[in-house]
Amino acid sequence: MNTIRKSVLGWAALASIWSGGANATEISMWARATTEAYSTAMVKAFNDTHADKVRLNLIPNEQFVAKVGTAIAGGSAPDLMSIDLIYLPIFARGEQLADITAQAHTLPFYDSLSKSHLRLSTYDNKLYGLPYSAEASFLMYDKSLFRRAGLDPEAPPKSWAEIQADAEKIAALGNGVYGFYFPGNTAGTNVFTFLPLIWAAGGDILSADGSTATLTSPAVAAALGFYRAMWAAKVIPPSSRNDGAENTIATPASGKVGMWLGGAYTITGVRRLSPNMELGATFLPGEKPGQWASFAGGDSIAIPRGSKQPGIAWDFIRWTFSPEVQVGILAHNNALPVRTDLAKNEYSEKNPLYLVAAEAMAKGRTPYSFVYNDLLNSPQGPFLRMLQRAVFDGDVPGAVAEAQKRFQQIIDTGN
Amino acid sequence: MRRRGLQGWLYVAPALGLTGVFFLWPLAMVAWISAHNWPLIGRPRWIGWRNYVAAFDDDVFLDAIRFTVAYAAIITPVLFVVAFGLALLANVERRGVGVFRTVWFLPTSIGISTASVLWVWMLNGDVGVFTTILNALGLVHGPVPYLDSSMAATAAASSMVVWKTAGFTMILLLVGLQGIPRELHEAARIDGASYWQDFRHITLPLMRRTLRLALMLSVTGSLLVFDPFYVITRGGPQNGTISIVYWIYNSAFVSFRVGYAAALALLLLAVVLAVNLVQLVLLREPDDA
Repeated sequence: MNTIRKSVLGWAALASIWSGGANATEISMWARATTEAYSTAMVKAFNDTHADKVRLNLIPNEQFVAKVGTAIAGGSAPDLMSIDLIYLPIFARGEQLADITAQAHTLPFYDSLSKSHLRLSTYDNKLYGLPYSAEASFLMYDKSLFRRAGLDPEAPPKSWAEIQADAEKIAALGNGVYGFYFPGNTAGTNVFTFLPLIWAAGGDILSADGSTATLTSPAVAAALGFYRAMWAAKVIPPSSRNDGAENTIATPASGKVGMWLGGAYTITGVRRLSPNMELGATFLPGEKPGQWASFAGGDSIAIPRGSKQPGIAWDFIRWTFSPEVQVGILAHNNALPVRTDLAKNEYSEKNPLYLVAAEAMAKGRTPYSFVYNDLLNSPQGPFLRMLQRAVFDGDVPGAVAEAQKRFQQIIDTGN
Repeated sequence: MRRRGLQGWLYVAPALGLTGVFFLWPLAMVAWISAHNWPLIGRPRWIGWRNYVAAFDDDVFLDAIRFTVAYAAIITPVLFVVAFGLALLANVERRGVGVFRTVWFLPTSIGISTASVLWVWMLNGDVGVFTTILNALGLVHGPVPYLDSSMAATAAASSMVVWKTAGFTMILLLVGLQGIPRELHEAARIDGASYWQDFRHITLPLMRRTLRLALMLSVTGSLLVFDPFYVITRGGPQNGTISIVYWIYNSAFVSFRVGYAAALALLLLAVVLAVNLVQLVLLREPDDA
């Protein structure tokens, strides 16, 4: 411990000499492990070009909230942190974050920042975070399977009925080939890919402020019915039922499924496993042609209460919005820029699939809830149960009624 | 006399200190937290008994109690039969018995979470080793959904636990078996007792203390089960395999309700204490009283 501290002090001293004796300070930043590729690159680039330094601490995803919660309670909060955007409402309501409304509005490109990130960072009309990284969900497909099934690989489906019709044609190829794939035993991935179906069809699961469950909206039953019909038609592989998201990359990359829903990470992952696969991507459609929606995921960056260096923390935040970071680091690492005015860039030009992702993100939505984990993310939560009961057991009305009741109970206990 | 008393206290002081710092103080903290609405993120608020009242309204918690008790009731006899059988086999003085003991004891040295992760992949319906073997034997064709129903998932996770812990119970029982003086067996044989008579009237009664220890360890361990269901079944399918500790973990780190989780933990402590007391009474030896 002492040696570490000495070496840190030593480096800090060295850094201050390097920067011409100016007072260089090191601040701590926490981020979840998912962000490793670009977080590491960003911090390195920042440290290479600034007198003040950032020390990055990557934390396993599942432990993030518990670690941060305990650290803030124990008075050892980091100076800066990037959090899964869905947790912003809880952290803001728990008075754990610094209000950055005034600084944020000084950013000239404020209006082109991801709307969904900003909405989730707002509590009581104050802003507590800014977009740090972004993800979006959309429909992906295997062009060679489309061709083999006699479908036009440049004309992907534009409605649920078209998805099902195409999936049936692809599944008819036989030999273990299926039309559509989704992992049936995981909550998080399905929140990301299934909720947009509901949104595209004009429905929602929660009221805008998250205080009322609205699963009775007809689009919810319709979307569940769409998945159920595909399962009943056997165009989805049987192993989907027990897939706890272990195979979200491997199954599409196997070349045995025609269509699946995913994000930018899916493009990157599938390409890594099957570099020669001909991938297609299009917006995630609704019930009728012309409707589409997307889930805006990713992280927001915030300054915890108790940050000892909010000034330097803000310098870092502002710097992450520069084109060198948005394009040179995020897009370069196959992540999406959080500035929608930089969605079109040299990397998306080379790789138009990422442009689909970025455009989807710009219009993406995210549920605002203080009980997000309990409702949606938990493997024991009512969302996954509803999906499984409707799709695999075939009881759509029963599944919806039960979920509506559970959702409202959880919201009422948690608010 | 007074001096001796003081001396006694001094001797037990280190043990008392450790128990106080590492058990009683944290226990008091848990009790204090359990009387609050204590979010992981945000400010705690005193709510008295309300977490305890809420626990009895929590369907998942009540299901978790039922599930955990049923699990303990099923796995304990299975584990005992397997471990007792192994212990009897391992008690024979023969070449290679050391290898036998080692092989069965080895899984004990693996961490339970590590073992669970190992089994997740062995139980993979598409590419797992069990599927490959069953297919090679011609018993099934294609993938096998091991975790398809609550029963199947519980059986799969329990198999892992038996594989993992049978070796340890075997060693405990083996020590008990070897503690029985050889002359007793020999005398019985000379009197014409069969193997089963010997087992029933000599071995079992003299193993009582060992059995009691092994039984208490096994039942307590089963009531506190967490990793196999967290890692292998994730509480599924459809919440069919959520154990009590799993739900406590969920309350604290998924729902962020630390106060509520603390209340559930204290309730579980009470249950475990009660079960162990009952076992002590039931298995009391006549001369113990």
